[in-house]
Amino acid sequence: MPWNPESDVVAVDRGPEPGGLGGAYRVFGETLRGLKTSFGRVVEGTRTVEYPEEKVPVYPRWRGRHKLHKFEDTGLEKCVGCSLCAAACPADCIRVVAAENTPMDRVSGGERYAAVYEINMSRCIFCGYCEIACPFDAITMGSDFELADYNRSDLIFTKEMLLAEPPVRTPLRAEGE
Amino acid sequence: MPRPEIETINFTVDGREVEAPAGTLLADAAKLADVDIPVFCYEPKLGAPVGACRMCLVEVEGIPKLQTACSTPVRDGMVVNTETPRVKAAQESVVEFLLLNHPLDCPVCDKGGECPLQDISFGWGRGASRFAEPKRHFQKPVELSPLIAIDRERCILCYRCVRFSQEVSEDYQLVLHDRGADTFVGTFDGHPYVAPFSGNIMELCPVGALTSQAYRFRARPWDVEQSGSVCTLCPGQCNVSYTVRDDRVVRVLSRENQDVDDGWLCDRGRFAYQSTYADERLRTPLVRQDGELVPVSYDAALRRASEILVNAEQRVGALVGGSTSNEEGWLLRRLMTEAIGSRDFDSRPAGAVSAGLQAALDAPEAQATVEDLEWAHAVLVLDTEPVDDMPVLDLRLRKGIRRHGVRLAVATSRPSALDPNAEISVRFAPGAGEAFVCALDAAIGGVGDVGGLSRAAGADPQAVEALGRMLREAGEDVVVLWGERLTHAADPARSANAARALLKASGRLGLLDGRKGSGLLQVPTVSNARGLRELGVLPNVGPGYSEPAAVGRSSREIAAAAAAGEIAALHLLHVDPVASFDDRALWSRALGRASGVIAHAAFLTEGVREHADVIFPAEASAEKEGTVTHPDGRLQRLRPAVGKPAGALPGWQVLAQLFTALGGRSTALTAMMVTTELAEAVPFYAGITHDEIGGLGVRWQDRDAAAAFPAGDSGPFSLEAPAEAVSPNGALRLGSFRSVWASPEVAHAPALKFLAPKQRAELNPEDAAERGIRHGQRVRVSVSGAAATPSTVEATAHLRSTSPRGSVFLETGLGAQSATALTPDETTVPAMVTVESA
Repeated sequence: MPWNPESDVVAVDRGPEPGGLGGAYRVFGETLRGLKTSFGRVVEGTRTVEYPEEKVPVYPRWRGRHKLHKFEDTGLEKCVGCSLCAAACPADCIRVVAAENTPMDRVSGGERYAAVYEINMSRCIFCGYCEIACPFDAITMGSDFELADYNRSDLIFTKEMLLAEPPVRTPLRAEGE
Repeated sequence: MPRPEIETINFTVDGREVEAPAGTLLADAAKLADVDIPVFCYEPKLGAPVGACRMCLVEVEGIPKLQTACSTPVRDGMVVNTETPRVKAAQESVVEFLLLNHPLDCPVCDKGGECPLQDISFGWGRGASRFAEPKRHFQKPVELSPLIAIDRERCILCYRCVRFSQEVSEDYQLVLHDRGADTFVGTFDGHPYVAPFSGNIMELCPVGALTSQAYRFRARPWDVEQSGSVCTLCPGQCNVSYTVRDDRVVRVLSRENQDVDDGWLCDRGRFAYQSTYADERLRTPLVRQDGELVPVSYDAALRRASEILVNAEQRVGALVGGSTSNEEGWLLRRLMTEAIGSRDFDSRPAGAVSAGLQAALDAPEAQATVEDLEWAHAVLVLDTEPVDDMPVLDLRLRKGIRRHGVRLAVATSRPSALDPNAEISVRFAPGAGEAFVCALDAAIGGVGDVGGLSRAAGADPQAVEALGRMLREAGEDVVVLWGERLTHAADPARSANAARALLKASGRLGLLDGRKGSGLLQVPTVSNARGLRELGVLPNVGPGYSEPAAVGRSSREIAAAAAAGEIAALHLLHVDPVASFDDRALWSRALGRASGVIAHAAFLTEGVREHADVIFPAEASAEKEGTVTHPDGRLQRLRPAVGKPAGALPGWQVLAQLFTALGGRSTALTAMMVTTELAEAVPFYAGITHDEIGGLGVRWQDRDAAAAFPAGDSGPFSLEAPAEAVSPNGALRLGSFRSVWASPEVAHAPALKFLAPKQRAELNPEDAAERGIRHGQRVRVSVSGAAATPSTVEATAHLRSTSPRGSVFLETGLGAQSATALTPDETTVPAMVTVESA
């Protein structure tokens, strides 16, 4: 089939020509209409939250940095290293290496425990699937969301870091707030 | 019994009409219609079904009660329903019943994620249990053996492991104790379940009751990848699947290949992967400087190695063994012939059979396959112990006898594990294999002096006659499974005579005329012996069994020449002759005298440690790429499952670089290119590629290129009078055997260490009584007669009533405690020893 140049012609819809009355309205009229909203807020006073000095409390079901838990009575870790969280994780950011409990060295309640438990926070998408997958409620999502760091490798959270009580940085929204 | 001819029938399952071979069990036949019938206890590999778990209940029209699909053969016109409410109710009830006592500890169970019970509960179960009472409890995991942990709570009593022990490996150790809900699996006397094939029960277990101690809590199924390859620890070359986590092998599973391993693995193949991560494993090249081995870079090691080879001025000998792939063997051959100009290389520990005889023994017409062992009319096991030399064949032979009525005859010098299954067992004197084959040939042919020859072999003439009669009359499908040891006599003329006798006897049975289902199958001493032979890594055979331009020295001649100073440098490719060859003292002297020794080794075995000047680290089985050839001619492909230690070069590349450094022209950039190169050189491998070999391998005999196989010696074969077995005359004949556990891989695998053999002297109780020796006592075995340097080996007396009188058997492969250590000056293991209490 011979090439038909007409089929490649693109028609362009142009806006109104600049200048004239219409142009002046578009420059001043519309700008003033927008500024009306801005100046209207001036009387309301400042509404800025002075982050990081001041923080917005998060909701109880907020999904922040993970926490690992221990049994309060025995002090044993709840995590048995079953790796179900790693299986559920869509970002593939959890790595679990299990080991066996011995009578001399009992770490968790079950037969096995997590010898290595790492979450790579730079990959985590905070979906909370790990919490849902956990059969022992060993991992939950906390409230902390301030996870920035200077070094990528510092964002790999180890078991010790996840077990430790995180520094209270983020206020939790109280009931009914 | 030859393979039966199978008709096809039509039957209907869930409204779909399908064709199926007659006699197929419903559980298998339904798969042809894409209908999945859940099963627990049914496993075709275990033989006849037992119908123990009741999971596979289906409705068959015309039969009022539900039937177990696993034990009901399909009939023509059968109408089967697997999705009716009755079947559904039955399936749900069975799952609920099986879960009554099954603990809900899936998160801590190693089977979780690859567990048939999980899958079937999910697919066919009701989802909730009505059982509120407490569950049955047992002590949590107990050791069934140092390799296997058993959690009896999880057991659903499917009988698979017990059936394996009773009917497949026939070690008769596992039984079910007690009754009802309290039933549990264990050994009869409570001893650990230690057997060469024990690891298979973990793979068979459909729940997490039997788990691997070595793999315990190492990974979950979603953490790992499976990577298929081939085990190269023995000539069996079983297909395996490596479980890899974080670039480390953590488990080895069987990868079923009907033509090779039938889906089983021995414990050595299953657990020796651990040696890959042993601290003792070599990871960098070593060079000897001032008597010390120091780690160096590959460049420095290659420089030193090429110096050694150049300085030796063609006086270089090479030995090839172990798990050498075809590619490495080929490059070594090119290095020796093209760059160095020496023909002194060998891949056999001993013996030298000519190219013509070798071609006759390996001819496609005379070749039996592994599968033929199970369908033959009769099988003769000749001078080999399958469970030690090629373990997986032991299971195949037992299967043939049990299920297909194969008649087995065993002819060995040491009592065999297969004796109880054999119709006839004949013993001959250690080392008298040649005389025995001559006697057997006479007995089969009904000509010649059977009595005289049998006595020369130290065998019972009547038993030899009976054996000959049995083989003659068993039927047309006879397979002779013969050990390469038969042709390992010190005198090459004796080896050749043994090979001719074997061919002559086989000819009489019609094994050489190309009939499918019968023939010869060799059990070599080196795992890739067949491949190396076909590539011409032999002093007297060229590529593809051609007659070579010049004949070089064989292993023993290399040793003698090196000890005499005629060979200056030795190249040891994956073999340590001091540790594994018969003539230990000679090799020790040869390596000591050589001015340069280059070795490729994974571990510092004694000969390498003491004598090697340059050592290149050998790849582990799971790291290797290339091809190997099974003793029945099946080319199989090794695929790397994990990466090599940082900076390590593959073995073929080291050889290729050495080849280039010595002025050779190697254009191979990948292992595959070497495969292409060798496929061009061997006429009957022509055009073979990695793709064609694929996952299950391909037998070159089944390809068109097999027509290019050269004609070997065709006979008639004239036999010489064989060497006579010496009469004990007060002393004892010394026989040797190599246990399946005698290898550096076993010694360095933490899980298998407890199996590493210790020297034991197997004696007949009457011989022992004459010498006042009791079972378990320490004894000294020494060379009788006036040896120049008397040598002794200490051993534990092991009295076996089946052991023939007048002989004592010692193990080899145990370093200074080997039978081979009894060799003072001579080149062979002495024939006569005395045994006394230590």
